[in-house]
Amino acid sequence: MTEEKKPEERKKRRTATEAASKIGPMVKEAIGGTVRAREEGKPLAYTFIVCAYDEIIRAMDVVPVWTENYAGICGAKRDAQRFLERAESENFSRSLCTYALCGLGFDAWREELGEMPPEAPWGGQARPDMMLGSGQILCDPRNKWYQAAQHYMPDVPIYDVGLPWPLYESDYDYRDVQDYYVKYIVKELKGLVEFLEKHTGKKMDWARLEELVDLTDRTWDLIWEAYELRKAVPTPMGTGDAMNTMVPMVFMMGTQQAYDYYKDLYDELKVKIANKEGVIPDEKYRLIWGGGLPSWFALTDFNYFNSKGAVFPVETTYRMIEATYNFDMDLSKIKDPLEHIAWRWIKFWTYWHDKARKRPGSHPDVERLIKYIEDYKIDGIVMHEAFSCRTWHVGLIWQLNMLKKVYRDMPSLILESDIIDISSYNEADTRARIDAFIDTLQAVKSR
Amino acid sequence: MSAEKSTGGLAAVDRYYQDYGSRAAELKKQGRQIIGYLCALTPVEIIAAAGLVPFRIKGDVNEPITKADTEMETIVCPLVRSCFDMALKGNYRFLDGIVIPHACDSICRTYDIWKYSLNLAYAHFVNMPHTTGDASLEFYKEVLKTFRDSLGKYAGREISDQALAQAIKLYNQNRAKVRELYGLRRSSPPLISGAELTRTLVAAVSLPVEEATVLIDSVIKEVKQRPALADKPARLMVVGAEVDDVAFIDLIEDSGAWVVADDLCPGNREFMTDVDTTADPIAGLAERYLRGVKCGRTYRERKGSYRDYLEDRFGHMGRMIKDFAVDGAVLYIYKYCDPFGFEVPQIKSYIESVGTPVLYVEDEYSMSTIGRLRTRVQAFLELLGSN
Repeated sequence: MTEEKKPEERKKRRTATEAASKIGPMVKEAIGGTVRAREEGKPLAYTFIVCAYDEIIRAMDVVPVWTENYAGICGAKRDAQRFLERAESENFSRSLCTYALCGLGFDAWREELGEMPPEAPWGGQARPDMMLGSGQILCDPRNKWYQAAQHYMPDVPIYDVGLPWPLYESDYDYRDVQDYYVKYIVKELKGLVEFLEKHTGKKMDWARLEELVDLTDRTWDLIWEAYELRKAVPTPMGTGDAMNTMVPMVFMMGTQQAYDYYKDLYDELKVKIANKEGVIPDEKYRLIWGGGLPSWFALTDFNYFNSKGAVFPVETTYRMIEATYNFDMDLSKIKDPLEHIAWRWIKFWTYWHDKARKRPGSHPDVERLIKYIEDYKIDGIVMHEAFSCRTWHVGLIWQLNMLKKVYRDMPSLILESDIIDISSYNEADTRARIDAFIDTLQAVKSR
Repeated sequence: MSAEKSTGGLAAVDRYYQDYGSRAAELKKQGRQIIGYLCALTPVEIIAAAGLVPFRIKGDVNEPITKADTEMETIVCPLVRSCFDMALKGNYRFLDGIVIPHACDSICRTYDIWKYSLNLAYAHFVNMPHTTGDASLEFYKEVLKTFRDSLGKYAGREISDQALAQAIKLYNQNRAKVRELYGLRRSSPPLISGAELTRTLVAAVSLPVEEATVLIDSVIKEVKQRPALADKPARLMVVGAEVDDVAFIDLIEDSGAWVVADDLCPGNREFMTDVDTTADPIAGLAERYLRGVKCGRTYRERKGSYRDYLEDRFGHMGRMIKDFAVDGAVLYIYKYCDPFGFEVPQIKSYIESVGTPVLYVEDEYSMSTIGRLRTRVQAFLELLGSN
């Protein structure tokens, strides 16, 4: 068995918004809620974020256990190492997704004990009744993690939802193929509904699903509008806070609670803007978090940036929504809820294609950066390369190269560490690199 | 060099292996168009049916990765990085286009890097689904039709069903010939070493399919006629992702064992399943690549018990162990390989459940890291010897 290690003391991060400060208790309550739900005999499913099935599981009263979330919590509490080491002792390479390794280490340990591992963060990760993976264009762990977890829980069934989208190609337009993508996704989602009905013994309430789909559209629009407010100078909210405010977006979508949360955030940002209350009083540099998941154990680095006069009004990470009214189709006309979800999925992932088509040699990911750089008056780009995740951390260098080629050269910094493996992190080195980057920004500004 | 000259058995294999891409470069000079591809999941039949030459891009464990690091993060699978490095260094200047399948994150997430950096006349991503159900199969047929149309436009000719059927026939003949080659390892000692066989397959995927089949046939004839190989105390199976270099297999065979079976690409995984020639060619291709190639990147839906699932996913390994009298298995997994890395506990326990010891090693696709594995391989062989 993996030896227990006492976690290092965690530093609490200072947030700029009231909304961000509410997230910790919300997540704690949600995780505790899954443990209670297990005791109460409610159906539990292991789930991944951004899998287009939020409304479906909510409509079926399936309690989601967001496995990436729990791993992130272990990381943020600096208590992931013992689970990572357990996974390693099971012959999983430490180079694999550390969210998955943390979860698998936890599962292996919990299944061996028949109860939660000792002092499991926030009560532990509840045993699921089913696991809902997905096959997308990215993230192999989404279809490998739960398959690997079955090694420890062979009785727990898996449903893997096919959720592809067309990549940006020069030999055809995504509209040429979108119909068959949507048709496939609808079939896959129907299969999910049948799977859930079989394993919960409950029938889908289609009227309720329609309501939740509509609620989700409205929540997407509201998030987009709230985040657009961050264009203000000084910006009322930075990426450090956005790493909190993303929680309802990815873990609570399809709930009234998520909608209400973003209404509160919107209102709070409006007040801050009216009062000219920024993240910091004197913004010197406005930066974009241009790619990569954060190191959950080192979110205080955002405060360090702030201490140097730098703010992050925008990020690409976890901005997994667009305003649905900006799509090139009227989504409200798609009445069938599964079709609606499928079209929203395809339109989200192809949203930047047309912009890229207009600039020779460009690419949707680069166009998104350019748009944000211009809209949010950005001076420099910061990215994070987490060694264990190829999903979000491959292509960062290339995007910077492309940006320089099709747009302009900008000061940039790629930090290197991990999402939850703290052994990859060196605070002194990281801050020295931030200092050097700030010097560069200053030099560029003073030209 | 001509096709006739490529019939020279193991000597020709060595030439093609050492001077990888030489035949493609010649064909290019003769006016043929060469389409590079990554991974065994590229439906090469469609490329061949378009009158183009499919060419498997390979890395080189002896070449330090340098240029690739300016465009591609070091957290990418080292094999993919090496392939890209070789391309950036000009080893594959003869390429006219590139086709990349939705294989794993390391391949999929670098598609844009390949496409924009090489800036070839043709680039296409084949979006293969991750699951094998009927809906996935129908979707994949549409994806293949999109690819057929796109490539046909590039090639300036419609890729007809007849042309596809002909290409499928040629590739099936090629696979049958590879299976015949594999059969030469059933005897003890085997008629062909693991390194010779892998070298042959790597050489073959650099050639037009007809030439590859002739080459493999010439190897079969040669090894059947030569004196028997020496006896070695252990017969091993190697399981892993893509192994396009014989360095590790050489290391095993230098350590006192024969590699007589594998689940690798190029290797058994790639050649064990044919395309059904009675079906619509696109349907046959979809079925074969999605369901027939048992790769860790594809999630095979469980039907029945967990043990049934393991049999479905790994049963062919158990059968190989029996058919080829395998004494031990080596899981040879690259660092940063998500599809196979997550399967290690399952594969290991499955193989051990059929009574075969397993050695699991992680490697970084470099001669310096491969060399460090020698002690572990030797210790494993000692363990097998003492059992």
